[in-house]
Amino acid sequence: MKLNKLFLLFVTTIFLVLAACSDDESKENSEEAAKKAEENLTESGLPIVEEPISLHFMAGKAPTTASDYNEVTVWKKYQDMTNIEIEWEMMPKEGLEEKRNLALASGSYPDVFYTGYMPNNDLIKYGEQGVFLKLNDLIEEHMPNLTKILEEYPDIKKGITFPDGNIYALPTIYDPEFPSLLIGSKPWIREDWLEQLGMEIPETTDEFYEYLKAVKETDLNENGEADEIPFGGTSIGGLRQFLAGSFGINHNGRQHLYTDIDPESKEMRFFPISDNYKELLEYMNKLYSEGLIHESIYTIDATQSYALGSEGLYGGAVVTSAETTYGTEAGGNFVGMLPLEGPDGHRKYTDIGSPLAHMGGFVVTNANENVAATLRWMDYFYSDEGTKLFFMGVEGETYEEKEDGTIDYVDEIKNNPDGLTLEQALKDHITWLGGGYPGIVKEDFFKGAESYPSSLEAAEKLEPYIIEEILPKFTYTQDESKRMAALSADIEKYVDEMQDKFITGNISFSEWDKYVKTIKDMGLEEYMEIEKAAYERYLSN
Amino acid sequence: MRQKKAGGNPAIKKNRLHLTKKNFLKSWQLYVFLLPALTYFIIFHYIPMYGVQIAFKDFYATEGILGSPWAGFDHFTRFFDSYYFWRLLKNTLIINLYQLLLFPLPIIFALMLNELRNGPFKKWSQTLTYAPHFISVVVVVGMLVAFLDPITGLLNHVIMALGGESVPFLTDPDWFRHIYVWSGEWQSLGWGTIIYLAALAGVNPELHEAAKVDGATRLQRIMNINIPSILPTIVVLFILNIGKFMSIGFEKVLLMQNTLNSETSDIIQTFVYQTGLLEGQYSFAAAIGLFDSVINIILLVTINQIARKTSENSLW
Repeated sequence: MKLNKLFLLFVTTIFLVLAACSDDESKENSEEAAKKAEENLTESGLPIVEEPISLHFMAGKAPTTASDYNEVTVWKKYQDMTNIEIEWEMMPKEGLEEKRNLALASGSYPDVFYTGYMPNNDLIKYGEQGVFLKLNDLIEEHMPNLTKILEEYPDIKKGITFPDGNIYALPTIYDPEFPSLLIGSKPWIREDWLEQLGMEIPETTDEFYEYLKAVKETDLNENGEADEIPFGGTSIGGLRQFLAGSFGINHNGRQHLYTDIDPESKEMRFFPISDNYKELLEYMNKLYSEGLIHESIYTIDATQSYALGSEGLYGGAVVTSAETTYGTEAGGNFVGMLPLEGPDGHRKYTDIGSPLAHMGGFVVTNANENVAATLRWMDYFYSDEGTKLFFMGVEGETYEEKEDGTIDYVDEIKNNPDGLTLEQALKDHITWLGGGYPGIVKEDFFKGAESYPSSLEAAEKLEPYIIEEILPKFTYTQDESKRMAALSADIEKYVDEMQDKFITGNISFSEWDKYVKTIKDMGLEEYMEIEKAAYERYLSN
Repeated sequence: MRQKKAGGNPAIKKNRLHLTKKNFLKSWQLYVFLLPALTYFIIFHYIPMYGVQIAFKDFYATEGILGSPWAGFDHFTRFFDSYYFWRLLKNTLIINLYQLLLFPLPIIFALMLNELRNGPFKKWSQTLTYAPHFISVVVVVGMLVAFLDPITGLLNHVIMALGGESVPFLTDPDWFRHIYVWSGEWQSLGWGTIIYLAALAGVNPELHEAAKVDGATRLQRIMNINIPSILPTIVVLFILNIGKFMSIGFEKVLLMQNTLNSETSDIIQTFVYQTGLLEGQYSFAAAIGLFDSVINIILLVTINQIARKTSENSLW
C-alpha cells in the first residue's frame, strides 16, 4: 500500500499548490499603504506624486494603436510630467469582452480598466459589489476639471449617475459644440455622378430612390460593365438609421434604437412595432429587392467594402468621412447628403449620439491603492491642456502652432517621408485612434476624420434637422438590468433578425401582424415599464 | 471482461483482494505511467466540475463560487421559457443528426480504397482527401465566403454563366445546414477512413482466398467478409461519435453565422458563448451548458445500451 500513500501525497500536494496560488494577499498593510499613498501626493497640479509610483492599467487595444503604450510619445511625456508609471496590459479589441469578463470573474483585475468599453450593466453589477469604486465625492475632491464640465452640462451628470445615486465610471464626453463628432457616420452621395445624371442632391425619399436606380442603370464609370453599386457599406444599419428620421421614428438618437418619446403624444413607445417603422422597412425592401443596396452587405467584411469604395463603385454610403474611408481620390467625389423628406412629410436627422458618448472608458477598481493619484492622473485629460496633449501630442515633436493660433500635426506626420498614412504615422505618438478613451473631445484639438473640412460641411447640412432631445444610455438597477438582459435578449434580437428578413424579402409583410404579436408575447409590457422607469429616473436625477 | 460473480464467501473475497494487490505490486511501473493521465483528468476535468453549481446560483465574482447566493432552477426556467429555446434545441439536434447521417461515408470510402491495388492512384487519392483536414476552421470559412459570395463568388459566377440566378448561399437559412455539414465532410472524409483502413488491413486474407475459391464476387466478399470484420470498430466509433453529439464545432457555426441565417444557425453553443462570455451572464450560460451536457449523456448511455444489447460491442 506504500504506493497508494505516495499517490495520495502527490494529489494532496497538487491541491495545496493550487490552493496557495489562489490565496488572497493579506490586507493587513492596506491602511498603512493608504496613508503612505496620501503623503506621497503633491498639493496640486503636476507632478502628481513625489515618489514615482506605478499603476496597473488594463487597456482595450485597437489595431490602429501601437502595441506597446510605454513607447508612445504621449505616454512617455505624461509619465515624466506626473511621476506615475503605467503598467499597460493590453487586451486586443476582438477578444475584449471575453478578457474583461474573465479578469473580473477570476478576481485578478487591474487598478484601472482603461478603454475597456465596460457596459452599463457591468458597471452597476460590479459597482454594487464594491469591485468598482464609487466616484461621486472623489470626483469633487480630486478632479476639478471634470467637476467644472459636469456643472456646465448637468445632462452629462444625469447620464453618468446610476439608479443608486452613484457614479462608477468616468465618462467620454463629446463637446456639445462639435456636431460633426456627435453625428459620427454621415450620409454621403457621389457629387460627380449626380452631375453626370443631371440630378440635384435628393431631398425626398422618392428622389433618393430615383438616384439609386439611375446609378444602377447607367454605366457612370464608363467601363462598359454594370459594376456600379448604388448603395454599399459594411452594414445595413447606417442606411436604416439615416432613413429613420424620414419616417418619423427614433427621436432620441443613436443610443436608443428601440424606444423613443413620441413627439406628438409625449409618450414613450416601442417604435419597431409602429406603422412608421413598417413603412421604413417597406421602403428599404424596395431598394434591396431592386438591387439598389449592395447584395453582399450582410456578409461583406470591412476591408472588402473599403476596397470597393476606393475603386469608386459606391454611389452612396454612410461613413464618418468618405475621404478617410475610401481615400482622397475616390472619397473626394462624395459630398454630404441632406436628410430626406419621407412620404408623410417627416424630415429629421436622428442618427446622432449624446455628448455623453459612453461611460466605461475609465473604471477604478478596489485593487487600486492610489485612488487619488489615479483620478488626478485622469483629470488632466478633461482640461484643454490635457486634451491637447492626448490628441495632438508634444509641441515641436508631433504638432506645431500656426500663426493664426490653430494647431496641426507636423509635416513629418502629415506627409510622411516613408509614405505612411496619417494614421500609421501617428501610431507611435498617440493612442486615441483606437477609440473608447475617456476624456473630452473638442474640435480645436481633434484632427480625426470628423474634423476634415468635408465632414464638417456634411455635418453642417444635417444640423438644422437634428432631433431636439438626444438622450444618453439609461442606467438600470441590478434587478432591472437582470430582467432587461432576459427581455432584450429575446425582444431586441428578434427585432434585429426580423428587420433584416423584412428588408431582404425573406419574409413578406403579410407576416407583420404575427411579428408584432410575437414581440408583445415576449414580455414587451415589462420591457417598456423598465424603460419608462429608467427614463423618469434620468429626468429626475 | 466478464468475471464470475463473487459470492458471499469471505475467503474468496480476501483471496481476490490479495491477488489484486499482488498484481498491483508486480506491475507498479504501469500505474506510474498512468499517473500523468489520471492527474490531468482530475485537475482539468473533475475538479472544475464543482463550478457547475453556479448554474443553480446567482454568480457574483466578488463572492466567489461558494459564496454566491442560490438561485434554484431560475436560470433553467428562464432558458426554457425563452422564445429561442425550441429554435436552439431544434437547430442543435438537426445539425447533429444531419452530421450523423453522413457517418457511413468514410466507411464506404475506406472500403473502396481498400479495393484499390497499391499504387500511385491510391496514394494520391488518400493524400488528396487527407489534406483538407489540416486546414484551420477560420480559413475554411474564409474559403466558403470567397466561393459562395452572391456577387463575386466563384460558384455563383458559374451558376450565372449557365443562365441561372445568383443564390445567396451564406444568408439563406435553408442553405446553412447543407453548407456547414458538407464542408465539414469534405474536411474530414479522408481522415475518417484511417481507422477503418487499419481495421481492414487486419482482415484475414485466408478468408478472401477461401471465398474466391468458392466463386464469391467482389461485392459479396465486401458484404460478407470486410464489413463483418470491421463491424466492432464501426460500432465503437459510432458510440464515440454519439459522445460528441451536441458538441459540434461551435467556432465554425459562429463564424458562418449572420442575422439572416440565424434561424437555422443559432445553436446552443453559440448562445452559451453569447450570453456567457460576451454578456457575462455566467450562471445562465452555465445552466444552458449543463442542460446540453445532460442531453448528451442521456444519448450516450442509451446508444451504448442499445449497442450492447444488439451487437455485443460497447464502450462499457
